[in-house]
Amino acid sequence: MNVRGNARLTDRLAAEYVLGTLRGRARARFARLAREDAAVGQAVRRWEERLLPMSAAVLEVAPPRRLWRALAARLRFEPAGRLWDSLGFWRNLGLVASGCAAALVVLLALRPSLFAPADKGAQTRQQQSYVATLADKNGRIVLLAYAERNSDELWLKKSGVQPVDASTQALELWGLPAQEGAPPRSLGLIPVGEKGTIKLAAAADQTLKDIPALAVSLEPAGGSKTGKPTGPVLYSGPCFKFW
Amino acid sequence: MNETENERLRALLQACARRDATAFARLYEATSAKLFGIAVRILRREDWAEEVLQDCYVNIWNHASGYSAGLSAPTTWMTSIVRNRCLDWLRRPNPEVVLADAEDGSNPIDAVASGDPDPLEELARASDARAVSDCLRRLEAKQRQAIMLAFFDGLSHSELAAHLHQPLGTVKTWVRRGLMQLKECLQT
Repeated sequence: MNVRGNARLTDRLAAEYVLGTLRGRARARFARLAREDAAVGQAVRRWEERLLPMSAAVLEVAPPRRLWRALAARLRFEPAGRLWDSLGFWRNLGLVASGCAAALVVLLALRPSLFAPADKGAQTRQQQSYVATLADKNGRIVLLAYAERNSDELWLKKSGVQPVDASTQALELWGLPAQEGAPPRSLGLIPVGEKGTIKLAAAADQTLKDIPALAVSLEPAGGSKTGKPTGPVLYSGPCFKFW
Repeated sequence: MNETENERLRALLQACARRDATAFARLYEATSAKLFGIAVRILRREDWAEEVLQDCYVNIWNHASGYSAGLSAPTTWMTSIVRNRCLDWLRRPNPEVVLADAEDGSNPIDAVASGDPDPLEELARASDARAVSDCLRRLEAKQRQAIMLAFFDGLSHSELAAHLHQPLGTVKTWVRRGLMQLKECLQT
């Protein structure tokens, strides 16, 4: 088969190449030709423009998180990596806020009802809780989080959290483990509205037990697909055990 | 895929060419579910699709500098990398095994061909696929079925012949005529 100079044959083979029915050695030969011969390459691109939009009909399937980890290891980088994995980075952000945070925690200790639903039990039980105060980069506290020790509900109250376009973006809350180098764990997406709750994977006593700090990153709608923060960290701050 | 999204992906690819790992992470985040979906559909095995997709993203990272924004849209470029890698993968010895590999013993192609969910319906919903979707609808049913099985499920001519219970020459003709009619329809 002499393809070069034969526009009709080139077009036919390009169509079958892009569709996928050109197989075996013929496919490999044609692929090489498409790289070497500009006219053949162009015929292939034209057919790609015609047919590949059909891929829009294929359902998305989120790949398992290990795929990203394997890829990052293979490329020998930690994309968005070192920054996120370095607890120092998070802690520094948290420290800025710690002055205000301390004052706030005292306030919360005195007024846990600020968060807790009105009908939740006695003060002794309320005091057995986790409280986190998250600040922006200027140290201004913009988000409070509160969870009773045995509850899987994390209560949130915003005050000056930057609004996001919910159709494309989300704010994701992360727990930062104490061990150096351990990756942050997603706690869930911050709900829209001034107050709201996040349903934790388990009771706060398990989920937040070894979490010295929380952080919020800006993610695409639905949250990070890689299992790690991928967008900028907007807020962070210490998480206190309150008993 | 709207133009704004394509522009964003184009910028991310250009940043990848400058070895910006954060841009690569974002590119992965924005495209991996679609590309994985494509690979799973063609290969019908998630473990293979994972392996293929890993290779593809390595390719994308390594060849980002060779991506020419003037020649094709970023999604087209990445989709073609994944589809070509999947089809190469199926060239490995004994690809027929894949077809009989459904765990419940059913033929996975039947489920696909029966349209669950209907790819034509899905296509009609995707705005950038409107033209090709309209033209597909105008094909004869047998041509359309052959083309869609080849495109979405990676069936070769002989697999199409076996699946559609037709002589090889017949399905080859369906595919060829179907493609030429698609081309004509898309030109108008």
